[in-house]
Order: sequence, then C-alpha cells, then structure tokens
Amino acid sequence: MSLLDEIVSAFADLDEERTINLVKEALEKYPLNEIFDACRRATDIVGERYERGEYFLSELVYAGHIFNRILELLLPRLERERVSILGTILLGTVEGDVHDIGKNIFKAFAEAAGFKVIDIGVDVPPQKFVEAVKEHKPDIVGLSGLLTLAIDSMKRTIDALKAEGLRDKVKVIIGGGRVDEYAKNYTGADAWADSATKGVKLCKELLGIKE
Amino acid sequence: MCKIDSEELARQRWERIKAAADLKEPDKVPLELLLDFGFRARWYGITTYEFFFDYEKAKKAIIKTATDFPTDFPPLPMFGTGSLIGLALRDYPDIARIAGVLTGPMHDILRDKYTRWPGREISPNSGSFQFIGGEFMKADEYDDFISDPFGFIAEVVVPRAHQSLERPGSAEAMAALIRAALEGLKYVEAVDSLVNGLIELGYPSLLAFITSVPLDFIGDFLRTIPGVLLDLRRRPDKVKEACDVLIKETMSRRIILTSRSVGFVLIPLHLNEYLSPKLYYEFYWPYLKNIITSFYNQGVKCQVAFEGRHDAYLESILELPKGWGIALFEKTDVRRAKRVLEGHTCVMGGVPPTLLLNATPSEVEEYVRKLLEEVMPGGGFILAASTAIPAETPPENVRAVIRAVEKYGVYRR
Ligand code: B12
Repeated sequence: MSLLDEIVSAFADLDEERTINLVKEALEKYPLNEIFDACRRATDIVGERYERGEYFLSELVYAGHIFNRILELLLPRLERERVSILGTILLGTVEGDVHDIGKNIFKAFAEAAGFKVIDIGVDVPPQKFVEAVKEHKPDIVGLSGLLTLAIDSMKRTIDALKAEGLRDKVKVIIGGGRVDEYAKNYTGADAWADSATKGVKLCKELLGIKE
Repeated sequence: MCKIDSEELARQRWERIKAAADLKEPDKVPLELLLDFGFRARWYGITTYEFFFDYEKAKKAIIKTATDFPTDFPPLPMFGTGSLIGLALRDYPDIARIAGVLTGPMHDILRDKYTRWPGREISPNSGSFQFIGGEFMKADEYDDFISDPFGFIAEVVVPRAHQSLERPGSAEAMAALIRAALEGLKYVEAVDSLVNGLIELGYPSLLAFITSVPLDFIGDFLRTIPGVLLDLRRRPDKVKEACDVLIKETMSRRIILTSRSVGFVLIPLHLNEYLSPKLYYEFYWPYLKNIITSFYNQGVKCQVAFEGRHDAYLESILELPKGWGIALFEKTDVRRAKRVLEGHTCVMGGVPPTLLLNATPSEVEEYVRKLLEEVMPGGGFILAASTAIPAETPPENVRAVIRAVEKYGVYRR
C-alpha cells in the first residue's frame, strides 16, 4: 500500500494518531494536492459509512476534528504552494442560532473535497453576510441553522443579498437538521441539504463540477 | 369555571394520560402541545423580553394560552431554566426551589455565561431564552471532578460560569447571590400562583421533575458537546468514571425529591442521536436505563424525549420494564415506534412543528386523522408536538390539531 493509501485507510478508520503521523511523513514526499486528494477519498469513505449506518454523528464530528488537525499541519505549506480549489464557500450559522456542530462538519467535508471555506461563525446577522460576500466574493454562500426560527433568518439573509444586488452573483445552499424542500422555496435558496455529504455533492452540482 | 368542574376536568385529564401511560385505551387520545414561550408571549401580545423579565406577565401569558389552547397536559409551570448553582447546592434541599432556577432578572444579576436572553444578548422578541452551554471544565480536570463532583461544581465551575461570581467570597459575589435569592423568592411566588391558576383551569398538577443522563450533563454544562465527543475518544476511562460518580451521587437524592410528586420525571436526551452503538451502549444507555428503572421501582414513571433520530436504538427500549413510562419521539416516525414498542412502552409525538408552520388547517386535520387511524388502536399513544411549537406558527393550525383529536381521537363516548 502506498503512503497515501495508508493515509486514506487510517483516516477513514478514524485512527487519529496514525493518520497524523502518516501525514507528517507524506508532507516530505508528496505535493499538497495529492495529500488533499487522500483526505477527500478518506472523507468520502467516512460519508459513505455514515449513510450506510456504520458511522454515527460521533464519528463525523471526530473525522472533522482529525481533518482540522491535518489542515494545521498543511497550513505552512498551503501559504506557499498553490493547490487547485473547486470554488469558495462563505459559511455561517444564521442570526439567532448558535448551533454549529453540523456547520463545522460540513466545513471539514467541503474543505476535504477541495473547496475553500470561509467560516464567519454563528449567530451571523444578514448584514454581516452581505459585507462578507462583498469582501470575499465567494461562489457559494452556505447558511446553516437548526432552529425553526433559523428558516426565517435564512430568508432575511437571502433577501438582504437581493437588496444589495448580490443574489445573482452567488449560489446559496441552506443546511441543518430542520431544512427541507419547503424551506428552500420559502427562503429562495438554490439547494438544501440535511447531511454534509449531500451538501458537498450539491455544491459541486451548483458550480457544474462533474464527479 | 366552578371548582367542582375544574376538579372533575383535571381528574378526567389525568385518567386519560395515565391510561395511555399504562398502555391502555383511554376515552380519548391524550394531547400535549408544547407551545414554546415565544408562542405564548405573542398570543398574549407581549414581547419575549417582557415575558421573561416580568413574571406577572409570563404567568398571565401562560394562563391565557392554557385557556385558549386546551390540552390534557398542563404547560410546564416555569419561565426560566435550570441553574448550575442549584446543582452546586444540592445538599440544601430547603432552598432548592430558589437556587435551582435561572430567570432573566437573575441572568442580569449573576451574569452567567451559559444563557442568552431576549432584550439582552438577543433581540427583544426572539423565540425564547437560549441555553448555549460552555466549556467550564477543562479536558485535564476530570480527576478533580471525579473526586468531588459537587464541590468541583461549586468551587470551580460556578465561578467560571458566572461573571458576578468570578471571585468567590468577594463583596460583589455575595451581593449577587443575595440579590439572586431575593429574585428567586419573587419567582417562586409567581410560579405558585401560576400552578393555582392552572388547577382552576382544570389541569392536573403534574409536579414535574427534570433530570438528565450524566453524559448529557457533562456535554451541556462542563465540556460542550464536541468536547465530550472528543473526550470519549481520548480519555474514555475518565468520562466513564465521571458518569459513574454522577449517577451514584445523584440517584438516591433524586428518588427522595420525587417521592412527593405525581406525574412524570422528564428526561430530555441530547447525545443519543450522536453516538455509535459502541459508545451508546457503554456511556449512555446503561445510565438512562438505571435512572428509568430506579424511578420505576419507586412507582414513578419517566417521560423521555428521544431527540433527533433515535431509530438505531428503538429496539433497546424493550429492555426496560413493561409500562416504565412515556417515550416522546422527534424525528423517529411514531408509526414505526408504535409498532416496535406496542404493548410495552407508551409512544408520544407525531406532530412536527414544521407541518404546523406550513400547512392549512384542513391539511393539519387530515394529517392527524390519518396518523391516529394507524397509531391509536390498542391505546398507549399520546399525540404531541415533536418539539416546541414556535411563535411563527399560525394559531389556527394549533386549533386544528385540538379539533382533530376531538373528531378522530375518541375511543368511546
Ligand atoms: C447539540 C444541540 C444543542 C447545543 C448546540 C451546541 C453547538 N455548538 O452546536 C446547545 C446545548 C448549545 C443547544 C442549545 C439550544 N438548542 Co439545541 N439542540 C442540539 C441537538 C441535541 C443536536 C443538534 C446537532 O448538533 N445535531 C448534529 C449535527 C451534526 O446535525 P446538523 O446540524 O443537522 O448538521 C448536519 C447537516 O444538517 C449538514 N449541515 C449542517 N449545516 C450545514 C450547512 C450547509 C450549508 C450544508 C450544505 C449542510 C449543513 O451537515 C451536518 C452533518 O451531516 C438538537 C436535537 C437534535 N437531535 O437535532 C437540539 C435542537 C436543535 N435544539 C433546540 C433548541 C430549542 C435549543 C435552544 C433554543 C434551547 C433553549 N431553550 O435554550 C438552544 C438555542 C441555542 C441557539 N441560539 O441556537 C431544538 C430546536 C427546536 C426547533 N425546531 O426550533 C432541538 C431540535 C431540540 C429539541 N428537540 O427541542 N442545542
């Protein structure tokens, strides 16, 4: 098994220390792109195991944690070396809502898949989303929320983007345990997802990226 | 309503709930609609800020909604949340009612970091106060906690969790505690008057007691949920010891506390949906089972809210003694739950608040009709909102649920 394949299997099996050690080793031998690709393959497997009921949320949270540790290792090189990214996602939990466990999982999975994610935190008012869109010019805006009232905040956020003439410049995806097709239509989003893997898949579709 | 009438009404409601909990067919499917604080405030015409910071108004808003949206279960007689200080003072039952609660005005006084309130950190009309928790114990402090959990809460966690109590023994801290206690007296008075008001309306008084599974307590108040999930990987033995000491230290007292009460012990679950079977059956289920069966052996039933999707662990509920209590489901389909738990556990739920947000009253009625047709035969079923019904919900849809039960939920006239 190649070193990269070993990373994939250690990461997918959630063997934290082994994964970290292997990544350290790989850092000296492989371009960043290939290490990222290994991460993507690993999180794909984690996602599949979750969909099949072999993994639970505890495993998703843990996978997110392992990925964040890997990112820390890659960061110094990330500043020097260009890696190709699929697109930029601006992500936040909407106003009134502080649930962020799901948002953080989605973030890790999207990053592992090759997106650049700008996370602006929780309880984010519409105006702050507007400013961040102007500043970062993302391809996609991701709105997270778990409270029923978050659906209204999502709508207000999307309305604020419209009012500023920014709505056509971005795709909007909403996510979180209580969003559905109705919420998508009500808020005026382009897509919805109640799982991180589904969300990543939809983000690719929104940008016309083939699997 | 005259006194006899309300007594009779309360008796009927209680009989109805009790029959369902005992897995029998009552005269009619019992109904619980968990209207959240925001819904009650809006219906009464006040902001949630007014609701939480003026006990008199909160009381009236609860009475008004309990009058206009009658159900079998009384609303929870509270307009605050559980407090960490109450836990620290669990050896002082004489002041338990005052110490055990955190209200809006107490939040101003104690400046706790684990809640946010309308008109303070959040907008004056946001749905409810909000519990946000916090990391008040560090990952390497498990041993300190284990050796003396309630001392640790009193001496380390409480000062960290309240800005006004940061320096224990300081004048500022003492003043804050005395002020909070004075506020507590006002609160208790308002709650007593609310309870009387509900009795006059014909509600059975279900002196409820709320408790939690040790792992949830650690996640909510000590380590945060992501924190405790990591601990389960990195220091599982410590987490386990902490759970063991918590259950050992609390169970006997809980039993004493509840021996006076009728009604049910409420247990909302948080981490159930998160855990893989390996973690669930080691760190969660044994403790939940312990709590439920200990109460059951004392003649007290529990009402457990299985939040999120509990499908993976539905069958394990059958390990509990038959008729142990009530299982409220959120995202798990109550039809499936009823099939699996038939004749063993009373199933509660079925009305998702998102349905009420978006449907027309006739759609709501039709939904309830279809659901009841499937789940009411044989009894042991309580129709309920699967989570709290928020302020934005059209009131006519709440009425539609009540009407539908009258029409389609009757076993015998
Ligand atoms: C953990 C939790 C908390 C924690 C949050 C900790 C944190 N840092 O996030 C604490 C204890 C702080 C908390 C507080 C409250 N909570 Co809470 N909480 C939960 C709980 C138990 C789990 C939520 C969760 O993390 N799920 C797991 C994650 C991984 O799932 P997820 O978010 O759906 O994410 C997945 C996907 O949706 C997707 N995803 C997520 N975001 C995004 C974004 C995009 C763009 C995409 C594409 C995908 C995506 O990817 C994830 C992985 O697959 C739920 C009950 C439940 N089981 O759902 C209640 C729940 C959500 N809480 C609830 C409530 C009411 C509250 C409080 C208001 C309680 C109170 N009165 O104080 C406060 C409010 C705080 C606030 N302002 O938000 C209610 C909401 C009811 C409603 N319908 O509105 C629930 C449903 C509980 C209940 N049954 O009543 N809570």
